[in-house]
Amino acid sequence: MVETLASEGVAEHQSAPRKKIGETLLRADNITLAFGGVKALTDISFEVREHEILAIIGPNGAGKTSMLNVINGFYHPQQGRIMYLGAERRAMRPHLAARQGIARTFQNVALFKGMSTLDNIMTGRVLKMKSNIFQQAIFWGANQREEIAHREVVEKIIDFLEIEAIRKTPVGRLPYGLQKRVELARALAMEPKLLLLDEPMAGMNVEEKEDMCRFILDVNDEFGTTIALIEHDMGVVMDISDRVVVLDYGRKLADGTPDEVRANQDVIDAYLGVSH
Amino acid sequence: MLYREAGQFKTSYGADQAIFPIRQDQIAIALMAALAVLAVPALASEYFLETIFVPFLVFAMAALGLNILTGYCGQLSLGTGGFMACGAFFSYKLTVAFPELHIVLVFLLAGFGTAGVGVLFGLPSLRIKGFYLAVATLAAQFFLVWMFNKFDWWTNYSSSGVISAPPRELFPGIFITGTQADPVTKYLFLLGFVALLALVAKNLVRSRIGRTWMAIRDMDIAAEIIGIRPLWAKLSAFAVSSFYIGISGALWAFVYTGSVEALAFEINRSFQVLFMIIIGGLGSILGSFLGAAFIVLLPILLNNGMLAVDPTISTALVSHIEFMIFGALIIFFLIVEPHGLARLWQIAKEKLRLWPFPY
Repeated sequence: MVETLASEGVAEHQSAPRKKIGETLLRADNITLAFGGVKALTDISFEVREHEILAIIGPNGAGKTSMLNVINGFYHPQQGRIMYLGAERRAMRPHLAARQGIARTFQNVALFKGMSTLDNIMTGRVLKMKSNIFQQAIFWGANQREEIAHREVVEKIIDFLEIEAIRKTPVGRLPYGLQKRVELARALAMEPKLLLLDEPMAGMNVEEKEDMCRFILDVNDEFGTTIALIEHDMGVVMDISDRVVVLDYGRKLADGTPDEVRANQDVIDAYLGVSH
Repeated sequence: MLYREAGQFKTSYGADQAIFPIRQDQIAIALMAALAVLAVPALASEYFLETIFVPFLVFAMAALGLNILTGYCGQLSLGTGGFMACGAFFSYKLTVAFPELHIVLVFLLAGFGTAGVGVLFGLPSLRIKGFYLAVATLAAQFFLVWMFNKFDWWTNYSSSGVISAPPRELFPGIFITGTQADPVTKYLFLLGFVALLALVAKNLVRSRIGRTWMAIRDMDIAAEIIGIRPLWAKLSAFAVSSFYIGISGALWAFVYTGSVEALAFEINRSFQVLFMIIIGGLGSILGSFLGAAFIVLLPILLNNGMLAVDPTISTALVSHIEFMIFGALIIFFLIVEPHGLARLWQIAKEKLRLWPFPY
């Protein structure tokens, strides 16, 4: 019985599509964001569907990071609304977004430099831990049981991202590629519904990029996490994403599967320039 | 060779969480504890207990408190003296109003009261950071000392503005405050009390709340992304820190000096404690103790050293040289080892692990 299940699983894995893309998880409607007179985003609408990998691409200054910051609650758009999990979000703050299951990594690594890899990832579990300050002061008992239970989860993530060897190293001492991986681990520790990755492969060499791609696909595959990522490496984007949104000068140029986007004339013009 | 952890395996996460995971450390700590409990009271004279060990423990408590706020949560504070004054005067009012209340309970209640004051003066930290926050806490320092000086109610209308600790017992017949308290009893009480609260501090910083403090210190934007509320994290650090500092102020007034006026807790006291954590090591429990020991011991050593070299030296010159050496040391530490004595100790341990075969 076990064998048949296993073999069926393998067969299914090889033939059928990797995963099933579900309903809309997050929808941005006519988002407009301005800083004084500068319009960072103009009338942007798109949606993120459950279990998909969505890439947001565009030239420098197109408003990609601003878009993530809006989803994340750092910026509040002047117009438009964000629908998340079927409800409209109002007065969003980053820590409230975290509570609703939105995790994020940064373009410039934003780790807690003074803490070890393990503590960084354990910090990602903050929202899941429940013991109060007096239990923590005593430590032994309820708090220790909780610490151990969460440590087990964190160790699974460490195992998954292959960073066992640097568990106790202060993250300030790690090379850049590993820091990016630890940041991903910290985001995964939150068990997010929606994972926002801001240039996860920036500044990496080919092997590191391949590793990171593998991790992103595995996360998406095994945990079913929805991922929205910003990336400049077109090879990577076209390979791993299910859909692509293209921004340029704060406007949306195109939205569709990698092949559709690749054939879109506006996108080609934006990237290659137009002769006037 | 001596300090090598080879062969010591951890088979559970519980064992991995231990404060002293290496066996050599455990032995060293046990030896230190035995020394502190048995040898010091037997060997040290009353003078040494009163001028070195008792103030060391009181300052260690204050340094612990400030280290939680500044070292772990990254909020610079110059209000330590004011919060110590809170602890001293709160416990005085409490124990005079309720003489039958146990003195340890009085200290703890005064600590909780100071925690409330700390939260109040910590509110600006939600908007301002770094040096601007330091200035805001400076306001706390000056306001609190002014308040305890200005209103006679705090000193029960004593004409000199000085409060004297009434005699109180730890156990029936064993006094730890007042004139009949024996220095050895005081020392042993402080040792136990401070060790217990240091353990609590260590437990806090290695649990969830400690990680939220450090997250706010290292990268507040990323901390918020994870779901940490900056408001809650900073105010809880102010509360816990003020709790410790308040208790240290109460111990200062009741156990160390026995009588105190508000001016004993002026701005210099705040700087003294801040220097302790800078020299000892920001973000380290051990560093609080090392820094306190350093700052308590150094003036005494310098003083005695200079008098030994030249017995005719004037006291004014001695204190001036003391200031100069102090200033130079602070600058030296800020430049050479910003992480303080605790980091030097850590480096020494890492070297020792490989010694004598560093390959």
